[in-house]
Amino acid sequence: MKIRSLRYILKESFKNAYRNRLMSLASISIISAALILFGVFYLILINLNHNLDLLYKTPQMQVNCLPELTDEQVEAVKTEIANNQYIESYEEVSKKEAFEKLKQYLDTEKKDLGGSDILEGYDESMMFVSFTVKVKDPQNSASVAKELESLAGVDNVRYSQKTIDFILQVSNWVKIVSFVLIGLLLIISLFIISNTIKLTVFARRKEINIMKYIGATDWFIRWPFVFEGVLMGFLGAVIAFVLVAYIYGFAQPRLSEQFSGGFEMVQFGGVWSTLILIYVGISALIGASGSVMSIRKHLHV
Amino acid sequence: MVEFIDVMKRYPNGTVALKGINLKINKGDFAFIVGTSGSGKSTLLKLLMKEETVTEGEVIVNGYQLSTLVPKQIPYLRRGMGMVFQDFRLLPNKTVYENVAFAMEITECLPREIRRQVPMSLALVGLSRKANAYPHQLSGGEQQRVAIARSLVNNPALLIADEPTGNLDPENSWEIVKLLSEVNQRGTTVIVATHEKSIVDAMKKRVIAIDKGKIIRDQQKGLYGDEDTEFKIYSEGKF
Repeated sequence: MKIRSLRYILKESFKNAYRNRLMSLASISIISAALILFGVFYLILINLNHNLDLLYKTPQMQVNCLPELTDEQVEAVKTEIANNQYIESYEEVSKKEAFEKLKQYLDTEKKDLGGSDILEGYDESMMFVSFTVKVKDPQNSASVAKELESLAGVDNVRYSQKTIDFILQVSNWVKIVSFVLIGLLLIISLFIISNTIKLTVFARRKEINIMKYIGATDWFIRWPFVFEGVLMGFLGAVIAFVLVAYIYGFAQPRLSEQFSGGFEMVQFGGVWSTLILIYVGISALIGASGSVMSIRKHLHV
Repeated sequence: MVEFIDVMKRYPNGTVALKGINLKINKGDFAFIVGTSGSGKSTLLKLLMKEETVTEGEVIVNGYQLSTLVPKQIPYLRRGMGMVFQDFRLLPNKTVYENVAFAMEITECLPREIRRQVPMSLALVGLSRKANAYPHQLSGGEQQRVAIARSLVNNPALLIADEPTGNLDPENSWEIVKLLSEVNQRGTTVIVATHEKSIVDAMKKRVIAIDKGKIIRDQQKGLYGDEDTEFKIYSEGKF
């Protein structure tokens, strides 16, 4: 294609889209609907992944000893932790401290159950010694946890794995559901776009026929229709992007407040460029393939 | 310029439209192809334009061997030939000027060339003053002249006209044929498919008569039908 044909091609594609404005509008709407859905799921996944990363990066780990351990045995566990090369630092939480903590927790959070009064008759001997351990490299969390768990006298080791597992499971489901839904919507938009182009092609079949006889190459005939498809896809993408940006901008501060502490939401500023790239890519691909599909038949002259 | 060598064409439904066609049209020739509808005349033209491909044999046009021509090359084959149809095939939403310029635009000519070439072509067919009119504002004869201007604008070596006077009254028909003859005198090879006896007879040019898929007569300075074939046609009750 030569540059001087570009003007002709662009002019034709705009004209075609305008002549067929109702169907063009339908195409644009369906593709923007698909892309909005895509954007929403994409942002959910981005946020889940972001929080997974945060959890991975928090190298805190709690090593709980058995309650019946003697002081010497606790001392042995402590030496093991101190000598572990993957551990940066550790802190011992004695039975007494743990008991105080529990009392404090009951007084502040569980007042309706009677607060710390329900511990009447119990003392710190019911508690167990624990160590709060900070791992040097979060990648080693799992192996360190396993190692510590195997020590004599250690009951269990807690770290963020459970939350991580939960988020992973949620994000897997989100992925499956979004793949199916988005896939369906993209296929529908492909067909609607190709149908719209088919109408244009049909309206101009005589012209195409004449062009073929005069000696126009197939690509010269095809380009305006391809541009028309890309144009519709692109407009759909712009609408979808603006809406998604608006919705996220509205929801993000409010949701962040709701989740305060537990779940951190990504700022839109950090993801918009990727989202735009994906949008432009998908919409151009769908627009172009939709039109190539629908013009094929009319080029055989 | 144009050569048919042992050409046979069978359509997918089994109809044999042409068989045993051997034909040579030299550069600068003017030839009529005559025959009734269904004689194979249209198929012959379709083979020339590579709208259809031969079943057997070979067609050579402008140095292109059409039996093995790949689809990608068809546009370039067609740029070397101008085509004129019975139904004019002008674009209704473009002016006369734009219709002619369109043929150059799609072959990606320079705007400068287009501005030079289109008025020349319109002048040749005598329509310079109607450049800004739309096809529906013109008479049939004028529309056909626009189509001829369009077919000539890229300076083709060969002009193919398929029943160019089929939709015109005798007076306009005569104008068109004179125009085609002028084009031929400027060096363009012209092939006209027609079944208008009066024109063929008056022109006294080469006549290639086709019937039932075969060339039954190929005559320099011929008439539409000599007495033998006319007798044959009458006796078969075709008229």
